[in-house]
Amino acid sequence: MRRLRALEPLAWVGPAIVLIAVVVIWPVIEMVRSSFLEISRFGVVRGWAGFANYDELFAEKDFADIMVRSVIWVVAVVVLTVVVSLALAQLFNQRFPLRKVARWALIAPWAASVLMTAIIFKWMLDPEVGVINQIRLKLGLIDAMGGAAADQLGNASTAMPWLVFVAVFVSVPFTTYALLAGLATIPADVYEAAKMDGAGRFRTYWSITLPLLRPALTVAALINIMNVFNSFPIIWAMTHGQPGYSTATSTIFMYILKGSDIGESAAMSVINFGMVIVLTVIFLKVSRWNKEVA
Amino acid sequence: MNMKLVGGAALGLATVLALSSCGSGGSGGSGGDSQAAGDGTVTLKMVAADYGDGPGKPNSGETFWKGVVDQFQAANPNIKVDVQVINWNDIDKQVATMIQNGQAPDILQTGDYSGFVQDGLLHKVDEVLSPNVSGDLLQKFADFGKVDGTAYGIPFVSSARALFYNKDLFSKAGVAEPPKTWDELKAAAQKLKDAGVTQPFGLPLGQEEAQAESFLWMLGNGGGYKDASGKWTIDSPQNVETFTYLKGLVDAGLTTPNPGTKDRKTVWEDFGAGKVGMVNGGPMSIPIFDAAGLENYGIVPIPGKSGPLDTTLGVMDWIMAFNQNGHAAEIKKFFDFFYTGDAAQKISDTYKLLPVTNGGIEKLSGDEKLKPFLDALPNASFYPFQDQAWPAVSQAVKQTIGGAVEDDPAAVLGELQKTAESAAS
Repeated sequence: MRRLRALEPLAWVGPAIVLIAVVVIWPVIEMVRSSFLEISRFGVVRGWAGFANYDELFAEKDFADIMVRSVIWVVAVVVLTVVVSLALAQLFNQRFPLRKVARWALIAPWAASVLMTAIIFKWMLDPEVGVINQIRLKLGLIDAMGGAAADQLGNASTAMPWLVFVAVFVSVPFTTYALLAGLATIPADVYEAAKMDGAGRFRTYWSITLPLLRPALTVAALINIMNVFNSFPIIWAMTHGQPGYSTATSTIFMYILKGSDIGESAAMSVINFGMVIVLTVIFLKVSRWNKEVA
Repeated sequence: MNMKLVGGAALGLATVLALSSCGSGGSGGSGGDSQAAGDGTVTLKMVAADYGDGPGKPNSGETFWKGVVDQFQAANPNIKVDVQVINWNDIDKQVATMIQNGQAPDILQTGDYSGFVQDGLLHKVDEVLSPNVSGDLLQKFADFGKVDGTAYGIPFVSSARALFYNKDLFSKAGVAEPPKTWDELKAAAQKLKDAGVTQPFGLPLGQEEAQAESFLWMLGNGGGYKDASGKWTIDSPQNVETFTYLKGLVDAGLTTPNPGTKDRKTVWEDFGAGKVGMVNGGPMSIPIFDAAGLENYGIVPIPGKSGPLDTTLGVMDWIMAFNQNGHAAEIKKFFDFFYTGDAAQKISDTYKLLPVTNGGIEKLSGDEKLKPFLDALPNASFYPFQDQAWPAVSQAVKQTIGGAVEDDPAAVLGELQKTAESAAS
């Protein structure tokens, strides 16, 4: 009887463990296994491949560029998102008329499908008829519609900033709300104490708000890092990673590889998975997430 | 206390059961059995590409196939056909995933069959098609359905390409005749540009169908993906010359900007909107131009380096039967129904695709707009799609050949040649 009672907790956590095993752990094992198999383009397993898939992957001409670009992509999008969201959260934490409406409006880019948002931006950037280019034409930034100058998504150096912009645009709402929630947990008496000690606005923000916001900030940034690294629809809908592979991140590259070599694509997934873990660990180290606020 | 324990255990067990039943449904090795219902009805699972403008449009693949299937099911009440329509960009990857998971369809209609032959996944054509139907197929086309002398792929529809030019823009720019040679093409494009046309020549070398546009240009200089002996020749001197010429057009601003990022659909829509002077297109682009309201255009053979092409790109799509589920008899009924009924005719009417049977071509011979294409069909050139390496080559071409008109043509084509040779080995 006593032994049975000792097993009781297992019955309660059991379903969750099973769920995690089936939904999280099993796919990871399957992914790693696939990366060591030779699989035909049409999905038929032809046998064990050893490290051949990895060798092929590392030998891809564009592999190094793509990995570097992926890291830049993550850093750029997450940093910009956090900076913008910090400011927005501060703003939305103030009382002002119609604050409720403004807060609701912020949800829109979050609620809309990311793919839809990306396609809409692609249309707005269309060189022949896109509204952004019509505005640029009116402002005299370009001479005419339709030419290379109006085709910002056709060139990596102008396409990348737009891709980052759209990624920030869709990430900001969630991040802002996470930070708003964090701001709400900071007790008012800390601010009063700071006021009595004669701290200015900047000093208060730097020494009180930011440190107390750190738990919310850490979680928000971490979720963003993983989301952005694995982000697929924005780049795929807007550029297909083209011209060439020059706007492709490793997630896009993985998808393209899937069309010609599933094993190599799985190898790319494994590398991707490793990258996310590495980026996360680095981030947690840097942000000293488990240290108490001094 | 005990009750709690039992309840918890039961919940856990139920979860495991629910999950494992999902699992077996998903891995679907048993697909064949589970589809045969008790009353002897067989369900054929079919996957087809979408020739229309996507879900919800009146010409969507769903609508088309529903019409065919309803007719078929009325005549064959004990066979159900379950059609899943997938757009061209995703169909190959989704089918690969199905096969990897052991959920191969019974019937697949898409752009290639040859990749499935090597793995022994397909029925031979004579197992699923009556002799009187296969005898009516255009011989040259049916021959391409064979691997090592045995037919596996059944030609489904075909198309050919020609040059479309906007007559209004041509007269506005003072170009009297559509170009026949590359020099004339460049001169005409320059005049169009001077007259304010933003894209004198529409050049889609982006992801969607770069392999087609590239091939049409290669043909214009006696080049191609392979030579007559079957060797890959992507970086042949002729092809390098071709892409150097194209790069000249791009550099002079006479084409779609950044061709390597443009899909044909976008460029055809731009042509329909009157923004493009000339563009290579096929019968399937006519509905797009019509929908955009463009009426005054001409169709001529594609210009080559020193004269118009005496060949063109013939593309055929395929329909094939998978042998995993053992439904050969039912598939045969469906195929025979499809090719002998008016369904093939309906495809030509709806999508302006060309038929693959002698009977079908005869029925269409009265159509003025289709005539240039029907005439070109007998002498068409085809992709080397029976080569095992072609899928990998095509994939690489789609992604990177745009670089050949922006950077160094020889280097980009050389890289593609390497892809072809390493995929072939």
